[in-house]
Amino acid sequence: MPELPEWFRDVAEYMLRVGLPQTLKLAAFAVTASTVVGLVLGTLITIKFRPLQALIRAYIELWRGLPILVTVLFIYWSATANVGDVRLELSAFLSAAIGLSLWGSAQVAEATRGAVQSIPREQHEAAAALGFGWVGRHTFVIVPQAFRRLIPPMVGLLVNIIQNTTIAYVIGVSEFLETANRQFENLTLAGDGHPFAIFGFVLLVFFLISFPLTRLAAFLERRLVA
Amino acid sequence: MFHSHVDVLPDIDWAFIRENADLLWAGFKNTMKVATVGIAGSLLIGVVLGALRAHRIPVFTQLGWAYVEVIRNTPILVQIFLLHYAILPELGYQGDLFLTSCVAITVWGGAFNTENFRAGFEAVPRRFREAGFALGFTRLQTFLNVTLPIGGRIALPSSINTYISVLKNTSLLLVIGYPELTTVAYNIQAITFRTFEMFFVLAVVYLAIVWTLSALIRLLEARLALPERV
Repeated sequence: MPELPEWFRDVAEYMLRVGLPQTLKLAAFAVTASTVVGLVLGTLITIKFRPLQALIRAYIELWRGLPILVTVLFIYWSATANVGDVRLELSAFLSAAIGLSLWGSAQVAEATRGAVQSIPREQHEAAAALGFGWVGRHTFVIVPQAFRRLIPPMVGLLVNIIQNTTIAYVIGVSEFLETANRQFENLTLAGDGHPFAIFGFVLLVFFLISFPLTRLAAFLERRLVA
Repeated sequence: MFHSHVDVLPDIDWAFIRENADLLWAGFKNTMKVATVGIAGSLLIGVVLGALRAHRIPVFTQLGWAYVEVIRNTPILVQIFLLHYAILPELGYQGDLFLTSCVAITVWGGAFNTENFRAGFEAVPRRFREAGFALGFTRLQTFLNVTLPIGGRIALPSSINTYISVLKNTSLLLVIGYPELTTVAYNIQAITFRTFEMFFVLAVVYLAIVWTLSALIRLLEARLALPERV
């Protein structure tokens, strides 16, 4: 194996030490928030109460329909506001995390709706016969069963969110791509930016994270069908 | 009760939007230009590579697989950076933003569409193709007359989903400064801080197109559904 040049070791070390943890933190936040909010909204929309259904439907279609970048920019632009005497300020990190979560929770809600509705009627009746109310029935019987069907799309969502964390670069979060670009700009000023090596490395790291997860999602999907 | 109004609308400064209408319209046209090239290009790549993959044509199948996996498992923003700063300058196209945009958007859409069409072609039952051969069709004729029309129909809804993503991805061209709609709105906001007006314009335009295409998918799924379960 050829010896890596000195400059590349420093650049890669900086990206992996500073950028990658931010990327993973952002992804963890967005995946957790998307799952929690999405499961709740996706379950509530199965209640046959028109105004509530319309409200959740609007939420899903709005955040799924907008490009994530537009959502993130809007949150970041409105991140500083004066409400009375209180000055509200959201960090770039939180703006990106919330933007990603709005999109992710809409995705999860839509998938959850389908999964919850696919649980046969008998399960509801059996749970009701055991004395569970609506909340208990869904918390302990219906949603846990629906969640099994949700696991493959949830792994897919994780991959999607990890890749979409790069959007946070636009508003200046020091995630993986931002640290790469910063190093590229520094090296360019010093003479040679090495764009192939630096952005190729970013591509490789994302691939090494995403590819096994994509395979896992496909495997889980097959096993569920079988 | 019925006189209650949506609270946010009166806050919009319509005159401000009108003042910037020309700029925004130019941005919209650029968005549509790249999206059109991207959709046409990814349709072509999708049908050709999808067919090569579905028919397990050696070498092309493996190359197609590698292309699809690399694109699907890496962020499109990183792909845009790599094209803009490394690959296209190396080929002598430094700074051609329209070209960079079209290539990045098409390459991404092509990979996703390859999977859509591969799945569509593979869903065509074997006996349909055998019937084609029995009529004396060559492999190519069988593909063009049997597999393409039927498999293409099966792949249509998922491929429109990919075109929706292609359109939404054009907003990411902001990072290289290609003057599409999001870039234009971003630049106006940066100078004027008219956050709400700019978000309103972006939301209306993107949602109008995305929701129209989504409705088209639902319509097609109902109308184009094959009469017999294949």
